[in-house]
Amino acid sequence: MRLKTVLIIACAVFVLVLNGAASAKLTATANHDHIKIDFFYHGSSVSVRGVSDPGSDLIIKIASADGHQALRQKGKVAGLLWMNVGELKFEHVPSMYSLHCSKKITDILDPGEMEKYAIGYEAMDKKATIQPVANDSEKTKWFNEFVKFKEDSKLYSETTGDILLTANGQEQDYYVLTPWPYQAMPGDYTVTVYAVRDKKVVEKAESRVFVEQVGLVKSFATMAKNSSVLYGTISIVVALVAGFGVGLIFRKGGGAH
Amino acid sequence: MHLYLPVALTSINVLVPVGLGLAVGLLSGLFGVGGGFLMTPLLIMFGIPSTVAAATDSNQIVAASTSGTYAHWRVGNVDFKMGLYLLAGGFAGGLIGVEGIKILRAMGNADFVIKMTYVLMLGIVGSYMFFESIMSMRKKKVHEAEEQRQESAFGRFLKSLPLQTYFEKSGVTHSVLIPIIFGSFVGILAAVMGVGGGFLMVPVMVYILRMPMHVVVGTSLFQILFNCIEVTFLQAYTNHTVDFVLAVLLLIGSTVGAQVGAVFGRKLKAEQLKVILAVIVLVVTVKIVFELTLSPSLLLAQSGGH
Repeated sequence: MRLKTVLIIACAVFVLVLNGAASAKLTATANHDHIKIDFFYHGSSVSVRGVSDPGSDLIIKIASADGHQALRQKGKVAGLLWMNVGELKFEHVPSMYSLHCSKKITDILDPGEMEKYAIGYEAMDKKATIQPVANDSEKTKWFNEFVKFKEDSKLYSETTGDILLTANGQEQDYYVLTPWPYQAMPGDYTVTVYAVRDKKVVEKAESRVFVEQVGLVKSFATMAKNSSVLYGTISIVVALVAGFGVGLIFRKGGGAH
Repeated sequence: MHLYLPVALTSINVLVPVGLGLAVGLLSGLFGVGGGFLMTPLLIMFGIPSTVAAATDSNQIVAASTSGTYAHWRVGNVDFKMGLYLLAGGFAGGLIGVEGIKILRAMGNADFVIKMTYVLMLGIVGSYMFFESIMSMRKKKVHEAEEQRQESAFGRFLKSLPLQTYFEKSGVTHSVLIPIIFGSFVGILAAVMGVGGGFLMVPVMVYILRMPMHVVVGTSLFQILFNCIEVTFLQAYTNHTVDFVLAVLLLIGSTVGAQVGAVFGRKLKAEQLKVILAVIVLVVTVKIVFELTLSPSLLLAQSGGH
């Protein structure tokens, strides 16, 4: 009985050692995990690094939590004039989405896996709901417009081949540097690294980036929201004083004929 | 140098709002317009959300119009009596216009009416001012006295209205109903179009109230000041869309621009001022017509604003 137990433990250790030799545990670390928005903030940059199994391809997704957004929809009126014709409500879409792949995503990942892990615009289209739209093709058309709008605002991006991979013995080091747009709202962002083999996700690791307003920026934003009467009054008084003050400085001016 | 804007939630090069403020403030001091019809689209172009751009522009116009009104008041170019009647009419008109927009939005064709009103009003006002000023410059003084003697049927109608009163600063006699009615008319249009209405009020004062151009500029600024105080407060209170930092950057430029504009205005004749304003209004009209007819690069836009 005792010998049997010893043999089982020895086999388990042997299997673990073999496994360890074949693959490294996937890790992910964001270097800049707390971004502070102060008066001189003009965006930042975030690098993600870690180790992975040498045989794996990598996909790195940086995204906010899914939320909703209402946008004005432009269309033609009377077949001639472009103007706002309504509002579209987008549900289950992140406000920011940045995807980095070691190779072209359709070459390394199965469509079913993309959908399962919400990787790529096509998968996001399937997950999102848009109201009001008449059918699926109209939904896809407006989702593509949504992506165009977000890419224009620097909040959505998909890039291929920007992950730097370096062999390191039995492991593979990876590194990606991505610009952090100043348009990204304060909040929590998740960095997810997927190790992919044979078009399947075999492992994933996560890290976080937290963005918050600090100092006077935070005070003004909070005051505008929570003490709007005081904020409005101060805005008006400052404008009146500034206008009058500059008027006094320019005493010799005037508009008479 | 870039600064982060706490309400607009975006970062901007400080030279952009200061420069825009200076340019629009200059127009404000020269022509007595708030410049919202220029500033708001420019701010949107530089990445400011439309709701924040409109509200913050009102805030900076408070500073620019204070600066401009003060400059014009010191040289006696503000008709406070006329300004108060126009203001009363404009306030009532604004309330009617806001209700009208609510009805149009419920009917689902608000944007069409707003855009068409914009194009028609800017086009008509700009064209009329342009051609009238060119004609006036050609006719010269020889015909001026003759013209003044000829009174139109419309002029006689205005004279026949009750509550006639003399407006000393402007040197004109009108029924108090005239500035109130036309003030209301401009107030309705301004509310529908989402603008301060200075570019509509100036032609009303010049062509209907027959006020001298330089008193028109000062009085218009006085009226705009009170309108924008009201709008700024309401926007800050109800929509939380006034960005104080952006407003300060804009007003640094606009208060100086308004003073320079008021000084520069002394060197131009009334007809020249009218022609330049007309050209600016017409350029904005053409820009809006292009926007309406050319396919936009993006079919989605931020909610809010016009």
